[in-house]
Amino acid sequence: MPVVQFAPFSSLVQPGFWHELTRLKIDVLRLSDESLTVNGSYSVGRSVRDRETGQDVALGCNLVLGAAAFEQPSQVPPMSVAIRGVFKNYNTIEEFKVADKASIFNEVTNDMWNSIVESKDASKLTQFLLLTFSDLKKYQYYYWFAFPAFVAKPAWEISTEGWKAADHELNASQLTSIFESLHAQTKPFFLVKLTGDAAKVHPMDEADVFFASDSPDSTIVGFLDPSASPDNPGWPLRNLLTYLQTLYPSKTTSVRILCWRDGELPVAGRAWKSRFGVVASGGDRQTVKPTAVGWERHPTTNKLTARMADLAPMMDPTRLADQAV
Amino acid sequence: MHTFQQQYWAIRDYISPVLKESKFKEHGRITPEEFVAAGDFLTYKFPVWQWEKGDASKARDYLPADKQYLVTRGVACLRRAQSLAYTDADEDAERLLSFGDPSSGLTDEWVETHAGRKDTADSAANPGEIDDIPDLDGDHDQLATAMGNVSLTSSAGATVGETPDIDDIPDMEEEGLEAGDDEATAGPPPKAGVLSSGGVIDASQVEAAKGNLLQVRTYDVMITYDKYYQTPRIWLNGYDENRNPLTPVQIFQDVSADHALKTVTIEAFPHSTTLQAASVHPCKHASVMKKVIERMNAGVEEQLAARKKDGSSKDSSSKKKWTFGRKGSKEDSSKDKSSANEEDEQPEAMRVDFYLVVFLKFIASIVPTIEVDSTTSF
Repeated sequence: MPVVQFAPFSSLVQPGFWHELTRLKIDVLRLSDESLTVNGSYSVGRSVRDRETGQDVALGCNLVLGAAAFEQPSQVPPMSVAIRGVFKNYNTIEEFKVADKASIFNEVTNDMWNSIVESKDASKLTQFLLLTFSDLKKYQYYYWFAFPAFVAKPAWEISTEGWKAADHELNASQLTSIFESLHAQTKPFFLVKLTGDAAKVHPMDEADVFFASDSPDSTIVGFLDPSASPDNPGWPLRNLLTYLQTLYPSKTTSVRILCWRDGELPVAGRAWKSRFGVVASGGDRQTVKPTAVGWERHPTTNKLTARMADLAPMMDPTRLADQAV
Repeated sequence: MHTFQQQYWAIRDYISPVLKESKFKEHGRITPEEFVAAGDFLTYKFPVWQWEKGDASKARDYLPADKQYLVTRGVACLRRAQSLAYTDADEDAERLLSFGDPSSGLTDEWVETHAGRKDTADSAANPGEIDDIPDLDGDHDQLATAMGNVSLTSSAGATVGETPDIDDIPDMEEEGLEAGDDEATAGPPPKAGVLSSGGVIDASQVEAAKGNLLQVRTYDVMITYDKYYQTPRIWLNGYDENRNPLTPVQIFQDVSADHALKTVTIEAFPHSTTLQAASVHPCKHASVMKKVIERMNAGVEEQLAARKKDGSSKDSSSKKKWTFGRKGSKEDSSKDKSSANEEDEQPEAMRVDFYLVVFLKFIASIVPTIEVDSTTSF
């Protein structure tokens, strides 16, 4: 059976975030390089239909950071979820380079692991880490994201059927009721119980009761999937599976997974975008913290390096003056 | 379905008193109240649009504090408007027509105009711009390469020595994990035009289509209310396929050649203290909107005339032809109280809450490849 390959998050930082960071750095943080909490969000994986070729083009598995990232998490739109991140800004490029990234990364993964083992808290399963150095005079921002994910050994495998469209497994009325439930209250992870034509969405907290009583065929583990790639579920599933394997090892020999990707009800003639698959792991119960990966690779070189946002064209007053006609 | 209808009535109630004093049919201009009403309708009907409050110090007191401007994020832009303009062959002109909303004659007409104008793009009328772009593209490539190595060769000498080895940021213990990581991490998509099984191709995948590269950019689109011109005003903020912010020059590549650097410029975004964004200057919006509204109203009058001949019993059939009619709720209400609500059932002239829906169709002609108009299904 093929190994499940997860689509990693890709960071999308809105210019508003850099503006806000600039303001914060000058007026509030000054020389402090303490870690701060920031808030990002991701939404269901979107794809657009190319009108020329008729193909669907996936729009990436984006984690978005905007101008409001430093504020308390506000209302996020339906079908997207806010996630918390650790943010650290360095004062010099040297500090940025020599920073002990492994230990910062470990702090985050420890927090995630403890939330699984000690409090069975699924809300901390998706977190991120952002290190920056801002060259304010040049309007250049060096940054490196990490989206920590635990590595399963042996890896999760997808059944021979592979990932298939959700409407092959669930009927339209079941999908519609899942949609309505998620639209009213979007959850990053959820449990679905099927009874006949009905589908009921339960929060992850009820997993104890859920897994204790229900037959495996009527239960599905769902998550809001930021990926739109047909064969690659999004990154959040990775830690969710670790969570399940750690807490409910007897149930993870075969897990029915729903990758929820429908931001709106499909218009007539179009299929549901959500995917369904059965994944299995031959691994034993996890008792110690597994290794974790997740530093973002540079999009052009695909290497593990920091990247840079050059906002001079949009921020530098002299260059803006050149543009003005 | 009932709640749907209730919310719909609620919005109608909300805007109806404003409608009476409205001058938007005469001038194409709207009041702040009408902007809010139209925005409420847009956000309700198309949830990709949302109200934002913006920077508190920049809040406009004539708009509600939490409804300062509208925003939609991550709007896809599959191709460059330039690549449309430069394709000269006849069959390409045909193709351009299809960019409109086929259900609305108006949109087709705008797109025709765009197709007609494309000749000017590579004629002598526009030499400066064409010369400019390869230059700046070069810059961009250089930038991309520089970023790849993260060495700042293009910037001041002082940092050149310091930064080249940022590349050498220790890959940390991750190096050891690579083998395990590769197994379960979806790699970058294949660069060749290989289709994945579901018929969905990845945004970063470069695909040759008629020689045009498919480079998916995304845009954040904002609509503010311009007090002076009394019209909505549109703002664009773009990201390239690697999610780096676009430069002004790159943004202009997505603007039809007639508007780049003329009606579309980079300006300070009014609801932020520092942010700059590309904006379509609103000086012509009112007159264009007025024309559109007149044309739509003319269409409605025709329908009214036709309906008089048919007799009022054929209400619903005439309504179906009208793109901007209220569909579901309308038919329900005609069942309930067909005669009592007679005047409500008249096909009416364009109401102000459709203003932004129409406005987006107009904007779509200025930025033909940015799919701002998510309203085509409407």
